[in-house]
Amino acid sequence: MKLVDKFTLWFIGVVLITTPITSYICFYNMEKKIDEAEIARLKGINTMAATRLQNGQPAGVPTAEQPTTVTELAVMPADSLLITKVGLRDGNKKLDECRITVSSFYTIHNKHYQVSTISHVPASSQVLSAIMDTVIWKLLLIAVFVALTARLLSRRILYCLRLTMEQIHHFNLKEKIAFPKTNTQEFKELNNFLQKMTDRAVDEYTAVKEFSENASHELQTPLAILRNKLELLSETNIEENQAALISDMQNAVEKLSKINRSLTLLSKLENNEFTVSEDIRFCKVAKDVLAAYEDRIDMKQISVKTDIDKNIRLRIHPALADMLMNNLLGNAIRHNVQNGRIEVVLTHKKLVVMNTGLAPEIPTEELFERFKKSNQCSESVGLGLSIVKQICEVCDFNVSYVYHSPMHILQVDFQPSKVRQEPPARAQDNLTPSLAI
Amino acid sequence: MKVLVVEDSREIASSVHDFLIREGYICELAFTFDEAQEKLLLFSYDCILLDIMLPDGNGLELLKLIRDKDIQSGVLIISAKDAMDDKIKGLEGGGDDYITKPFHLPELHARLRAIYRRKKLSGNNIITFNEITLNTDTLEASIHDTVLDITRKEFDLLLYLVVNKNRVLSRQSIATHLWGDYTDNLANFDFVYQHIKNLRKKISAANGADYIDTVYGLGYKFNSSKV
Repeated sequence: MKLVDKFTLWFIGVVLITTPITSYICFYNMEKKIDEAEIARLKGINTMAATRLQNGQPAGVPTAEQPTTVTELAVMPADSLLITKVGLRDGNKKLDECRITVSSFYTIHNKHYQVSTISHVPASSQVLSAIMDTVIWKLLLIAVFVALTARLLSRRILYCLRLTMEQIHHFNLKEKIAFPKTNTQEFKELNNFLQKMTDRAVDEYTAVKEFSENASHELQTPLAILRNKLELLSETNIEENQAALISDMQNAVEKLSKINRSLTLLSKLENNEFTVSEDIRFCKVAKDVLAAYEDRIDMKQISVKTDIDKNIRLRIHPALADMLMNNLLGNAIRHNVQNGRIEVVLTHKKLVVMNTGLAPEIPTEELFERFKKSNQCSESVGLGLSIVKQICEVCDFNVSYVYHSPMHILQVDFQPSKVRQEPPARAQDNLTPSLAI
Repeated sequence: MKVLVVEDSREIASSVHDFLIREGYICELAFTFDEAQEKLLLFSYDCILLDIMLPDGNGLELLKLIRDKDIQSGVLIISAKDAMDDKIKGLEGGGDDYITKPFHLPELHARLRAIYRRKKLSGNNIITFNEITLNTDTLEASIHDTVLDITRKEFDLLLYLVVNKNRVLSRQSIATHLWGDYTDNLANFDFVYQHIKNLRKKISAANGADYIDTVYGLGYKFNSSKV
């Protein structure tokens, strides 16, 4: 439910509850005032009649203009004033009027008199119906105007909120956003808060990004120095045990530089630095990488079965395509057994790389995590599959890894769109109505 | 060969210097943009090793200078940035080749030699050492005029060894030279040994001397003093 509907309903609810109460108060007060005014007038007439009696003038016969009757009483009643009000009836039908009789009691010249004057006032039902008419019109007008103007007003007042929400909707960590100016206190606070929050997020993201970029960049020079000095050292006159030490160091430097390169690549992937504008022929990449690994496949005496369709075009950065294939195939060879098997299937829809190998020691899905290795003490760095996953994310592919003894099956779906892309699209739809306030 | 090394890291520059001096090259160093600019305008070099990131300027600017002044030197770009666009910019700007830090010195040397052959020896593609002749154009290797039946990888390996003769070549450096980016997925460097073994077999089958020595656990060395 929209904010404006909630407010409208609340407002109408309040009006519905208060209107009967105020109507009753209004009715009560009106009737009272009418009666009071009439009674005061009649009392005045009575007093005049009494004055005439005092002066010895005749009371006169009551007429329509002078509806005053004077009656002589034997005993003086306790009250000096008696007011009666009766609804007039014409047979069974209630008339629109009430009759008010005001009787005053006087003692004049030792005689007791009752002076009564009658008058007619509108009946309660008359007053009530007048009020009801007004109230109904009032309610109707309020409802119509509230319904009409609330939307206009909310569009105007909440315009700023809507802009803010749109801004947040399109917010990404790469750039700061400016929120619209507003004179509404709450929105001002909200915008200030969001501004601080988003600025901070952007700053921290930039800092982290810069850190990883700088760290890997700054590491490269010391690594180069280490590597080169070791190379120079290995050319001096050294003995076998020294050579072993140098060799160990070279291995360590090698691994360090691999980790460094992989982490740099991962951060580049996360930054979406690989934008593509055209499709490439993935089948060619696959064949090239297979050719590059030919000697290593031969060395392990692995039998390779390929089923690569022709003319497979994919929207992927050439460097990423190469890396994807390189990592998948490299893993398939490295984690293979002597005389093992590799199967590569490439169609328009998917790429499947299957290989024989030892059973994984941890759940296969976990192997996509950084530095996770099935065999923790193995020589590899443990970033290959993370890179594969990241590449797939960048390209909107879906990657899965299952182990069906004895095959490790890595599958990349190129078009997971129908199944995979819909949930996020729906999620966006869900957001849209809440944006339109 | 006369080489100018433009590199702000003195340690790297000195490593390169020490390595190249042993080859009998004349090697001069420039640590800043200004120094490099001055040297480029005053002297002539066969090859220039150019770091893109300099404290007082961008190496790409120096490339522009080299092109504008029509300086006929081969340029090997060194960069810590493994970025594609840097590579493309560098090569489009007039660089002849590109190498990323951290590099192996023998690899740097091999690339320098390749540039030198292309640019200065006017594309001379024959490399000879005693009975071994390598043709970098046709990728043919022959011993005593007998053409060896070797694979592309083995040819590259032999060329790498000959160019870096009497140098200790670590297995990592050989692997990187032969497989480039595809080295990352290697569990170990056993296959380097395999290739060396095959190459030795093929050379000795053609009555070539066994020049390739194993250096302890470190790697291999093309020993030119063997007969």
